[in-house]
Amino acid sequence: MADPQLAPVVIGGGDRDRRFARALIYVGGAILVVAALAAVFAPLLSKWGPTEIDPAGTLATPGGAHLLGTDGNGMDVWSRVLHAARIDLGIAVCAVALAVVVGTLLGLLAGYLGGWVDDVLMRIVDIFQAFPTFILALAVAALLGDGFGNLVLTIAAVNAPAYARLVRAEVRTLREMAYIEAAKTSGASMFGILWRHLLPNSLTPVRVIAPLNCGWAMLTLAGLSFLGLGVTVPTAEWGSMISLGTSDVVAGRWWTSVPPGLALLVCVLGFSLLGEGLQERADAKRR
Amino acid sequence: MLDIEDLSVVIRRPGRQVAALSNVSFSVAPGEVVGLVGESGGGKSMVARAIVGMLPSGSHATGRVGFDGADVLRMDAAALAKHRGRGAAICFQNPRGALSPTRTVGRQLIDRLVTHQGMSGDRAVESAAELFASVGIRNPGQRLRAYPHELSGGMAQRVMISLAAGCAPSLLIADEPTTGLDVTLTAEILRQFRHAADTDGRGVLLISHDLASIAEVCDRVVVLYAGTVVETGPAAKVLREPAHPYTRALLRSVPDVGGGRVVATAGGMPLLTAAPHDCPFAPRCAHATDVCRTTRPETEKLADGWSLACFHPQEAPLSVVNAEKSDNAATEAGRIVLRVEDAHVVYRSRFGSGGHHALRGVSLELRTGETLGVVGESGCGKSTLAKLIMGLVEPSAGAVAVAGKDVRKRSRVERTRAQMVFQDPIGSLSPRRTVADSIAEPLRAAKVSTADRARRVEAALGRMELDDSILTRYPHELSGGQAQRIGIARALVGEPDLIVFDEPTSALDVTVQAQILEVIADVAADAGHGSVFISHDLATVRGFADRVVVLYLGRVVEEGPVDEVFDHPRHPYTRALLGSAPRLGATRAADVQLVKDLDEADAATGCALAARCPFVTDTCRSQEQTLQPYGESRAACWRVPELPALIGKSDS
Repeated sequence: MADPQLAPVVIGGGDRDRRFARALIYVGGAILVVAALAAVFAPLLSKWGPTEIDPAGTLATPGGAHLLGTDGNGMDVWSRVLHAARIDLGIAVCAVALAVVVGTLLGLLAGYLGGWVDDVLMRIVDIFQAFPTFILALAVAALLGDGFGNLVLTIAAVNAPAYARLVRAEVRTLREMAYIEAAKTSGASMFGILWRHLLPNSLTPVRVIAPLNCGWAMLTLAGLSFLGLGVTVPTAEWGSMISLGTSDVVAGRWWTSVPPGLALLVCVLGFSLLGEGLQERADAKRR
Repeated sequence: MLDIEDLSVVIRRPGRQVAALSNVSFSVAPGEVVGLVGESGGGKSMVARAIVGMLPSGSHATGRVGFDGADVLRMDAAALAKHRGRGAAICFQNPRGALSPTRTVGRQLIDRLVTHQGMSGDRAVESAAELFASVGIRNPGQRLRAYPHELSGGMAQRVMISLAAGCAPSLLIADEPTTGLDVTLTAEILRQFRHAADTDGRGVLLISHDLASIAEVCDRVVVLYAGTVVETGPAAKVLREPAHPYTRALLRSVPDVGGGRVVATAGGMPLLTAAPHDCPFAPRCAHATDVCRTTRPETEKLADGWSLACFHPQEAPLSVVNAEKSDNAATEAGRIVLRVEDAHVVYRSRFGSGGHHALRGVSLELRTGETLGVVGESGCGKSTLAKLIMGLVEPSAGAVAVAGKDVRKRSRVERTRAQMVFQDPIGSLSPRRTVADSIAEPLRAAKVSTADRARRVEAALGRMELDDSILTRYPHELSGGQAQRIGIARALVGEPDLIVFDEPTSALDVTVQAQILEVIADVAADAGHGSVFISHDLATVRGFADRVVVLYLGRVVEEGPVDEVFDHPRHPYTRALLGSAPRLGATRAADVQLVKDLDEADAATGCALAARCPFVTDTCRSQEQTLQPYGESRAACWRVPELPALIGKSDS
């Protein structure tokens, strides 16, 4: 027998990655839940309407009647920051959802059918991806004009090609799998193979990328609005609020631009943490 | 030299705990080859990891891994680095994955020699070439400059051995060194390990799930079950007259080319959460009594160097039950369900011209109630033939008809008349579909009503001896054996005309393989359909095929009734295959030895085997060989009548 006095040898590590992933998902998720609640209950959380002008004065300092003061037009900053969450979160999430649906559909077809369908679709994707994302968004936004629907279309258009590529690559691997051959030999139709087997299995990477993408979409929207191509005053939107407030900062009036900036930062961070956490969890599972 | 004493490893992770090894003790002496056998999950790889000090994170290890007086478990980083280089070196299961893909194999070997042996550059190049030559690599100078992807599996495994042996370790560990290699290569690779022990006086630890293949080269065998050593002893004793019921079960599960019957043992290996307080094999053991279920048997000495942990040691030598052949009277009356006529398949490369000629003129015919075995080494076109029959690849010439219908002109329902059972049991089930959904897939295509579908799925499941509760599970929740039963149920459910089994058991553990083979033998005996059974393992085919065809580089080289082909092989290739197939009982020396590896052979003109055949003449090199009748079989070799004399001559 071995010497009983020898202590057991312990090799550390274990489950750190998994716990880390879970923490990221919880923190990111919590931020987003708070942001969503703020957006939904914005009218209850503020005394003033987002476009209501306080006749008592413009550029009022924070405190008093206005929690975060008023902007150059005499509108309540706190109320506008809350109401802007509806536009920013709404457009970002809708646009990414649309991009996922369209991109996945194109990717499925291109990946499974191959041949000329693949060639044509992928060349179109190439054209989209040949431009820097933001420049492309500027061009599309200028073409379509503003408004909720058009902005969703603009941001979806610049993001969909990435999903098409992602899903196509996934499908090209999956279609060689034994279970796809098994489905074929079981007499499954093309639609059946695409819908029942390839679609559910090719969405794994999409699930990880989509939350991250929502954060980028918000930045794109804010950027467009900052440049005057997205949501315009008087509608409350963080990007346009920052744009309006830039000149105030020089004069020491930080409250018109810093709060919307922070709101944007926190929401993007929430999406990033959530996406990062999902990525980590997927990696931990694979190990 | 290596002396493992009372080694226990428990892996603790949040939410689960696995007792990977429980009180394992054994030793390896210099010049000795020890086999470590058992099924996957038994702890074989964990032993290897403990010896090189690479236990996974979360491990709690107790006991001692003694190596030349030191304890590996308690070595510091510097001592471990030295130990891994000069003390114990490991050859991994997947040699191509373990070699760095962007550096030449010579570079990788020379680096090791310089680091661990302190050689100068020139001296290292010289001894690298010597090492390559010593493991049977031809043209060592040229091979040193090769990248891993340019090597065949067998060649890569030889490089791995030279890498491990290059640091002159006192112990060489090989983790499943021959899994995935063809039979003709397996024997050759195992000889290299024996050679390392005999000439260099190294200790060798051969880890394998395949008892039959390592039986011939080992001095001693250690049998692991659920992390415990159940039997240790001289190879000859343990393999011929095993005393532990698990060792006996393991041996009886191995199909035998000689035609011995496989006896399956029900159940699977338990995953222990703590060191056992009973005999872990008791639930599956036919000899188990109450004492086995309450007390863990002590390891007791049976004879010199032979010990086991069992309350009821068995004594009788393992008898070989010869399978009684079912009468094939029904075969004659069956209708033809598969006809392949002079089929060729060429995989065109996407860029430029050229391509790979995977099948070169194969003709087959199969009737209902009949089972056709297809055997050959990897790359011979077995899987292409399966895909061709299933209509997954198109013939570039020739024709394939299933149930009288050309495979290219079938409707969706007609496509379901031929079904396939795949090699990867879990991978062939859609990961996000339930078991019920997967089995019903062929019925969906045949437009069977929902109620009828459920009834037929249950019937198929019942035949696989599976419980209804499995229907709502997903593939990742299934064991390999369960998943393969689901795969067979899916093939059966639509009552097809033809079932193709493509290596259905090669991904399974030995005792599970035996269980699945029993199920398949039962299914294949149905009079309603014909079966094609494809395997690289000759022994599994022998069990229940009626006829067998031997494929070599896309051609049929021999064809005939199964007993005739196995007992009286005609073609030199068939002889070589059968000769190198591992056998548990009497070791049969190969009467024909092929002279090169498959990848070096060229099949452009003449006989496909010409480059490797020891009996080759100019006629063979220039003339295409066609199947000629010799007795009950047909073989594609004109020298068949002269072969017995030629073999006799080469023996003397």
